[in-house]
Amino acid sequence: MALLGACVGVLIGPSANGAGAPQIPDFGGQWSHPFLTGFEPPKSGPGPVTNRSRRPDGVANFGQLVGDYTNPILKPEAAQAVKQHGDISLAGRGYPTPSNQCWPGGVPYIFWDFLVEIFQRPDHVTMIYRQGGEVRHVRMNEKHPANPVPSWYGDSVGHYEGDTLVIDTVGIRIGPFAMVDMYGTPHSPALHVVERYRLVDYDEAKDAIDRNAKENSRGGENWGYDPQYRGKVLQLHFTVEDPGVFTTPWTSTITYRPAVNPWPELICAENQHEYYNNGDSAIPKAVKPDF
Amino acid sequence: MKRQLALLMALVGSAILGADAAAQQAAPDFSGIWTHPYWPGFDPPLSGQGGIVNKARTPNGVGDSDKLMGDYESPILKPNAAEVLRRLGEISKSGVTFPTPANQCWPQPVPYILWTIGIQFLQQKDKITILYSNPDHETRQVRMNATHPKRVAPSLYGDSVGHYEGDTLVIDTVGVRTTRPFAMVDVYGTPYSAALHVVERYRFVDEAAAKLAEQRTLKENIAIPNNDSGLIIDPNYHGKALQLEFTVEDDGVFTKPWSASMTYRRAAGAWPEFVCSENQHQYYADKDAQVPRAEKPDF
Repeated sequence: MALLGACVGVLIGPSANGAGAPQIPDFGGQWSHPFLTGFEPPKSGPGPVTNRSRRPDGVANFGQLVGDYTNPILKPEAAQAVKQHGDISLAGRGYPTPSNQCWPGGVPYIFWDFLVEIFQRPDHVTMIYRQGGEVRHVRMNEKHPANPVPSWYGDSVGHYEGDTLVIDTVGIRIGPFAMVDMYGTPHSPALHVVERYRLVDYDEAKDAIDRNAKENSRGGENWGYDPQYRGKVLQLHFTVEDPGVFTTPWTSTITYRPAVNPWPELICAENQHEYYNNGDSAIPKAVKPDF
Repeated sequence: MKRQLALLMALVGSAILGADAAAQQAAPDFSGIWTHPYWPGFDPPLSGQGGIVNKARTPNGVGDSDKLMGDYESPILKPNAAEVLRRLGEISKSGVTFPTPANQCWPQPVPYILWTIGIQFLQQKDKITILYSNPDHETRQVRMNATHPKRVAPSLYGDSVGHYEGDTLVIDTVGVRTTRPFAMVDVYGTPYSAALHVVERYRFVDEAAAKLAEQRTLKENIAIPNNDSGLIIDPNYHGKALQLEFTVEDDGVFTKPWSASMTYRRAAGAWPEFVCSENQHQYYADKDAQVPRAEKPDF
């Protein structure tokens, strides 16, 4: 039986491109999900923290990030952290996040990014998140080390299950502004994220797209997709568990459509402009140079 | 006779087409992690006029990597550029580190970015994406078999188009933005103008050529085997090295084109996670860069 398993393993391995071997799905290209704060609520079951502040039409108000600290996924300390961040927003100020401080986002925070490009190779999958210019590397068909050294994006290993790319990430470092979403929901060293990517027909993704439209607001026109597009979309289902912070695992989706515009060159260091509230971030300035 | 000629032409034609197809198939595969663990400058050119080198030398004649004093007397420099270099060299001589794209976490323009310790190519038919390790979130995109637009909108990495010439990948870049802080083509602070034009040529060379290149670079640069990126030359790898020759021309700044090279070796170690915003440590000067600190948070 073990031998049979090994043989099957060879067949579905990424280097097996011969006749009869299952095709590795092609996720290549640039994908767009220009919505803030990004996470789509799941169809059922525990979901991510959402915004208590709503626009008149019921959609989350991105101009005021007030995470729902009553979400039952949150342990008390985590709920308190979310509430503290929300109170800062309610007082009319912004709080620091990885994206507005030009720090690495880690997973799942980074899934907010409007644009992702996926490069599939037999031994690695590389993901470039265009908005922040962040790069993730996924080692294919490998295991996590017994004691992963904590790092910004964690240790990510991947494999294919039929038409699905599965990525498992642990070992995400607790850095400054460590949070799993834009509401300041914290994480602990126990954070474990499983991503499942699959190409699905537009119709199959329609309910997720509709749920997204009720929750998230459009983040600008320059990183768009064709609204008439009805071909395959790339759907990411992800599961987050962290017993240090959450009472239960929770899930969310991101439904990407092909990006149609040339990718903008976006540089965090020079991006003082916060497009969402139409103001500039304050950065330290010297009256005169030091030399 | 006419028919024979037509047949001959058809044969020649198909031979050319065949050769063309072979050339396309033979596009070299540059995948994997490559490293150039030397600091601070580019490698000297394989021949011809070189770029700016360090005026500060150690007693044994090698460039002094603790001071970055570009040779402002180089004949390639127009007077305005020479003055910029002289001024920055004075700052470095006084013991102060002058701001560069690398130490200020700003995008590094071409050819400045070519100093980086690690490099990876993601080769696709219509596009090549290049990843750099220092920091690890810099990426360039090269459109393959395309031409520059007539009027290029200036951008931080410029407009890069590429093609293969036999075993060589050729990348042509124009339109590198000048309206940005720390606009420089090398670690010595040599400026550039809107006329900057860089041509990179990448090809495989054998290990002997790579070792010759190492001897050349060690006359100007120091080896940094224990660098922050964690990448080292794989001691067990004796296959090909990836050699880059690049030519820089910019009649706004330089009196003539100049060239330099970089020879990247197969790396041992995983691709590093090297985040600029947390990297206050300047490993070359072995001290921390100053960053603004608040006594207490603002809220």
